[in-house]
Amino acid sequence: MRRLCCVALLVMTATAGAQKLPWQGRMNGASLDTKRPQDVQYLFPEQVSVAAGRDAVIEMHFRVNHGMHINSHTPKEKWLIPTKLLVTTSPELKVERMEFPAGEDYTLAAMPKAKLSVYTGDFVVRAHIVARPGQHILQGTLRYQACDTNSCYPPREAPIAVDVIAK
Amino acid sequence: MKRNILVITVVLATLGIMIWAGVANYRRQQHEQSNLKRLQAMIEATEPQSAANQDDGIDENPLQGKMAPNFTLTDTNGRKVSLADYKGKAVVVDFWATWCPPCKVEIPWLEQFNKQYSAQGLQVLGISEDDLNLDNKTELAKEKKQIADTATQLKITYPVLYDDANVSAPYGGVDGLPTTFFINRNGKIVASTVGLAPREQIEADIKKALSSGGGES
Repeated sequence: MRRLCCVALLVMTATAGAQKLPWQGRMNGASLDTKRPQDVQYLFPEQVSVAAGRDAVIEMHFRVNHGMHINSHTPKEKWLIPTKLLVTTSPELKVERMEFPAGEDYTLAAMPKAKLSVYTGDFVVRAHIVARPGQHILQGTLRYQACDTNSCYPPREAPIAVDVIAK
Repeated sequence: MKRNILVITVVLATLGIMIWAGVANYRRQQHEQSNLKRLQAMIEATEPQSAANQDDGIDENPLQGKMAPNFTLTDTNGRKVSLADYKGKAVVVDFWATWCPPCKVEIPWLEQFNKQYSAQGLQVLGISEDDLNLDNKTELAKEKKQIADTATQLKITYPVLYDDANVSAPYGGVDGLPTTFFINRNGKIVASTVGLAPREQIEADIKKALSSGGGES
C-alpha cells in the first residue's frame, strides 16, 4: 500500500513538471527583462600564463551576436564610432599596444554605394603586454556601437577580465 | 486496519486531485486553442491592409493613441523649441544620431516630406540622441557643433534639437535608431516606427497624422 502511495505521488509530481497545472501562473511573464542584452560577448581566455618581464600576447576572443554588426577599429567614415578596447595598465601589468583585426566590408541595402568596415561573428583582439612576476588581472571594456540591417543602437561597453599569471 | 484506511484515503484523494487537474488542464488547453484560432482569424483578416497600417498590430508602440509627451529643447540655432509650440499641426518627431547610417537614409526623405506637406500643416522635428557631456563645457560645445555640422551636411532645414534633458525616456526610452513618432493635430501619437521604415510607409504615416485629430475635442 505504501508503495502504491509513493507511485501516485511520483506520477503527480511528474505530471506537474510536464505541464502547467491550473493553479500555476505564467512562469516567465514576470521575469522578462526589458533591457537589451549585450550585442558582443567576451568568449575567452579567462586565464593565461606568460613569461614574466617579456613581451607576451593575449588573444582575446569576442563574438558579435547573429544578425548584428559593429564598426571595426578603423571605420571608413570619421562620424562612425570605432570599436576600442579600453584596459587599465600599471607597472605590474603594462599593456604596450592593442592589435585589432581588419574589418570586413558591409553594405546596407538602403545605402548600396556606402561601404562600411565592420566586425561580424567572431573576432580576436591581440593585447601586447609585459607583466612582472605574480598574478594580475587585465581588466577593461570593449566599447562598440552595434547595428542590425535597419537600426543602430547607442554605444555600449562589454566588460572583460583576464587572469594573468606571470612566472 | 486504521492505518490502511488512512493510506487508501490519501491515495484516493491524490488520484482525485490528479483527475481534477487533468480535466482542468484539458479545458484550459481547449480554451487557449480556441483563443489562438480566433487570433489567427483576426490576423488573416487584417493581412491585406497596406504597409502603412502594419504598425496597428499587436506589436504597436504602447504610446500609440496616447498624448505625445511634451518637451522643450534647444535647437542647433540656440532657439528653445517645445512640442506644444506646434499645437494644431501634425508633427513628426525623429530620434536620430550622427553615428547612425540608417538615420542618414531616412533624413532626406523627412526633409522632402517636411517641405511637401508643410502647407497642409506638417512639421518635422529631429532630436539628436548623440551623447552630450553636460559636465564639460568644452566637450559639450564640441559635441553640439558636430551635431549642427552633420545637420548642415545633411541639408536639414527643420529644427534639430539637442536631447540634453533625456526626453527620449518618456518616449519609451528610445533604443534602436531611427525611431520616429507621428503625432496628429491634437497631439496624439497615431503611428511610430523603429528602424529604417520604407519611404512609402513614412509618407502614409504622415498622411495619417495630417488627416486625423483636427476635429477631435
